[in-house]
Order: sequence, then C-alpha cells, then structure tokens
Amino acid sequence: MDTARLKESFARVAMHGDEVALFFYSDLFLRHPETRDMFPVSMAEQRGHLVRALATIVSDVENTGQLTDFLQALGRDHRKYGTLAAHYEPVGASLLATLAHFSGPAWTPELAADWQQAFGLVANVMTEAAAQDEKLNPPFWEGTVLSHEMRTFDIGVFRVVTLDTLSFVPGQSVAIESEMRPRIWRLYSIANAPREDATMEFHVRVIDGGALSPALARGLTPGSRLRLGPPVGSLTLDPGSSRNVLLVAGSTGLAPLKAIVGQIAERADPPETHLFVGARDASGLYDLQDLKKIGAECPWLTITPCVSDDPDYRGERGTLPDVVARSGSWASHEAYIAGPTPMVEAMTERFSSLGVPATQVHVEDFGWSEPCP
Amino acid sequence: MSVISRTDNRLTPDAVQAVTFPSARLGRRGLDEEHVRAFCGQVERELVRLFNERTALADEVQRLRRRVLGLSGNDAEAGYRQDDAHVQAVRILSKAQQTADNYVADAQDYSRQLAQDARRRRDEILTEARKHAAVMLEEAHTEASSAAEAALVAPAAQPDGDRRELEAELAYLRTFSDVYRTHLHAYLDALLRNVEEWERAEKTSLAATRGSLPRLPHHPQPPPPTG
Repeated sequence: MDTARLKESFARVAMHGDEVALFFYSDLFLRHPETRDMFPVSMAEQRGHLVRALATIVSDVENTGQLTDFLQALGRDHRKYGTLAAHYEPVGASLLATLAHFSGPAWTPELAADWQQAFGLVANVMTEAAAQDEKLNPPFWEGTVLSHEMRTFDIGVFRVVTLDTLSFVPGQSVAIESEMRPRIWRLYSIANAPREDATMEFHVRVIDGGALSPALARGLTPGSRLRLGPPVGSLTLDPGSSRNVLLVAGSTGLAPLKAIVGQIAERADPPETHLFVGARDASGLYDLQDLKKIGAECPWLTITPCVSDDPDYRGERGTLPDVVARSGSWASHEAYIAGPTPMVEAMTERFSSLGVPATQVHVEDFGWSEPCP
Repeated sequence: MSVISRTDNRLTPDAVQAVTFPSARLGRRGLDEEHVRAFCGQVERELVRLFNERTALADEVQRLRRRVLGLSGNDAEAGYRQDDAHVQAVRILSKAQQTADNYVADAQDYSRQLAQDARRRRDEILTEARKHAAVMLEEAHTEASSAAEAALVAPAAQPDGDRRELEAELAYLRTFSDVYRTHLHAYLDALLRNVEEWERAEKTSLAATRGSLPRLPHHPQPPPPTG
C-alpha cells in the first residue's frame, strides 16, 4: 500500500468539498435503501463527521498506534447506531465508487487496490473492536425518565434509570437519543457518582435552535424513554493526585463537577475541595438547594456561587475567572473546569497567568457559547 | 486538512474553511468577525462549485472524446450508459437530500431566532421591572415621608412627643402602603392586558397556520434533471 499515493488521492478528492460525502451517501442509499433509516432526516452534520473521520484516518495512516485507538473507539461508538459487521462491505463499495467518481482519469487499478486494502484494514479494526465490546456491553442502554423539572426557563434537570447497569467514572458523559428526536445523539454529562439504584441525573440547558436540547430540557415527562450510549470523556478525578481540589463550573458545566464532588465524598480521607458555580444572573444558579445540602454534609467542601451580570445580587459578583482569582491561590491545586466555551477558555488562560501548571488543569468544553459567567 | 494546500500550493475549500485571523490588538480597530466569516463561507462555496463544474466539464470532454473516437454503439458504451444512469440517480437523490437539509436548517434557524428574541425580551422585561420597582419604592418613600412630617407638625391637639411620633409613623406607613397598592394595581392590570394580548395572538396565529403552511425563506426549485 502506497500511503503517499493514498494521501495525494484523498487530497484531490477532498477538493470537491461537501459533494463528496453527498455522493457517497446517495450511492449507499440507492444500492442499500435499508441503510437510510439509520440516519436522521438532515444529513448535513453527518457528512461533516464522515469527511472529518476520513481526513483523520488518511493523515494518521502511518501512525498505526494512534489510528488504531481512534478506529477502535469509532467501531465501538457505531454500535449504538445499529451498525453491524455486514454494513461495512456496502460502505466500502460506495466509498470506492465515490473516490473513483471524483478522481476521474486519475483513478487507476493500483489506486483502487490501495484504497480497497486501506478500507479493509479500517473495517477490520472497527468490527473487531465492536465484537469485543459486544461481549461486555449492550449497543446502547434503555433508559426511563423518573422525574423532570424546569429549574429556570432554559435549564431542565432530570433523572433516568437504566435497565442494565451502565458503569461509568464520575465526570464522564454519555450520548443521549430521545424518541422525540430519533437518530440525533448529543453528549451530556452525568451529574452524579454511580449509585446503587442505577439512577443518573442530567442537567440540560436549552441551546437556541438546538436539535435535541430543547426537547430534553422542556419535553421530557416521567416515563419518557431515552437511549444512552457508552460513557466517554476524560474529565475525571486524577486518582494519583493527593492535591487539594478546585472545581470551576459555568452554568450546566456543574453536572460533571457535581459527580466528582460525589466521588470525593466517598473517599475515606477527602481532600479540601472548593467548588465555584457561576451564572449570569441569580436564576441561573439552578442547583443551589441541592448544593447547599451537599455542602452541609461535607465539611471539606466550600461552595462559592457567583453571578456576573446582576448588580443586585447579594453574594459574590463577577465573572468566574475574576472571582476564582481573588478568592485564593491555586498553584498547588488540581483544577477541573467545565462549562461554555468562552468561560472555559477565559478560566484556562487565567490559571496559566496565575501560575497553575497546565498539567494540573483538566477541562471539559461544553461546546456552546455564552458570555463568560 | 491544510495538507491539501501544502502539497500542491493551491487554495482549497477546506483551507478557506479552516483559516483563522488573529484578533486586532487592544485599542486597534478590527474587522467585523461575522462579516469576515460570512465572506469566507461564500468563497468556500464558490471554490467548491468551480471544482465541481470543472469535473463535470472533464466528464463531458471524456464522453465527447469517446464519441469522436467512434466507440458509440458497442458494449463499452452500453456499460458506460448504465453507470451514467446510476450517477444521474445519485445526483437526483443528492439534490433531494440537500433540499431536505435546507428545510431542516431553516427550521432550526427560525427556532434559534425566536428563542433568541424571547431571551432578549425576557431580559428587557426583567430590567424594566427592576427599574420600575426601584422607582415605585422611592416614590412611596418620598410621599410617606412628607405625610409623616405633616403629622409631626399638625397643630391639631398638640399631644405629647411619643404619641406624635407614633402618629407620624402611622401616617408614613399608611401613605406608603397606599402608594404601593396603587402602583401594584396598575402593574397587575398591565400584566393582565399582556396575557390577554398573548392569548389573542396565539389564537389568531393558530387559526392562520391551520389554513396555510408557515412561511419559510424562498428556495430556488431544483433544476429539472438533464441528460
């Protein structure tokens, strides 16, 4: 397999932008109409995923270790969509037809053989990982909503119980699909450490115009069915660290950090922990009641709620970076940040200027944008 | 994916999509980010269109070349035609998919605008209400204070100091609650009118949507299949 030739071929095909993935899926659906039902109505996002995955595979083709990790995760992750080993061959055929179509006269039997071989390897690693995972886990977990409440006009909190136990590490998240929005999966952090009754708490903030969040935040009722994907994410407590802990949560970024608080509480000798919770106005501090209860039970835990945009607020006022910076020195703490992108970026930057080593800063970017609380 | 632009030094759609500009230094005037981003999007789409037009032309040249070479009518051409039909089908399905994608994107865009408007309106109402409350308290306090002063200096029976003070306080409280109650009435009336207006608007809009589909931004019709 000539990897330089593969890269060059992919670069030429990728010039055609969105048309490539568009052609690929149309070809696949025409040859195998039954596969259409595995995808949502709008394919725009899906096409982006495909092109990014292909680009990653092609650019890492020589870096076998890293590529194998990526493909194994991809193979396991595809189980929740209903992907079976039998789907890989049709996908390979459509992929080759697409590459041939966009390569034009540059498509040679040698190039076709290279691609065939490369896809064979990719499919092997993915199906192998999926088969391994099948021995341990279901493709997804069936969940039932036990309770749901709107805490503010745009934040909903709900509890789910799963039929099979879903093992996760506090701080991790799972992809959620609702029967209200079939085949649309979005990641949400679990807001508690694993419980004996297998219930999980989620905090969902409505993203304006979002595909799933409005349905989850507003539309769920007790008894609603959800599907949960396998746990992912690495914003988890460093088990080797004996440092004191600093947690900084913007808006629903509270969820993973609340789970971490729960985990610390189970330790025999919990480290001193300081949790900052920020919102734009007082109503955005949607979980204070519960936090106060936890705070009262945990003498090692300090909780500081703060509000950035409300001059009448009687507690700490200011953005999270400002409040955190003036509340202590953190250079020897293990710091965990979760929340909207601008807040996470501002906080990370502040830690670096405060001299907190980057290796002690752990981050979960929720991906949506809102002025920094 | 900047690999692409590096290998043969050409500007690609991906390179345009991935391009970032450093922000202007503090105190320096910079360009409007939204505008720059929108323009880059336009350039990217145009590049893609050009590449695709070029490919279509190359296909056409190939087909014509074959015809000139006198390959028509034999088996190769029959196989080619079948391929051609499949590619046509792929194009038609792709067009349909893009139309669906656009409708979903429009609906999401519409819902985003509505939600953002509602959010903005909520903030305005809250700010307004806070201001109103402050003014109301201030006014009640001023009026009540002057009522209290009036009670203090009332020449009527000249009772002893304690009693006069109590009467002043009573006058203060009575006036305060009067003013407060009047304002509260006015405020609740206004709120009630708002709710009624809202109900009316919802009924009219429901009646309207039952008759016709919601108006969406206009989309060009997909061109009829050619060839």
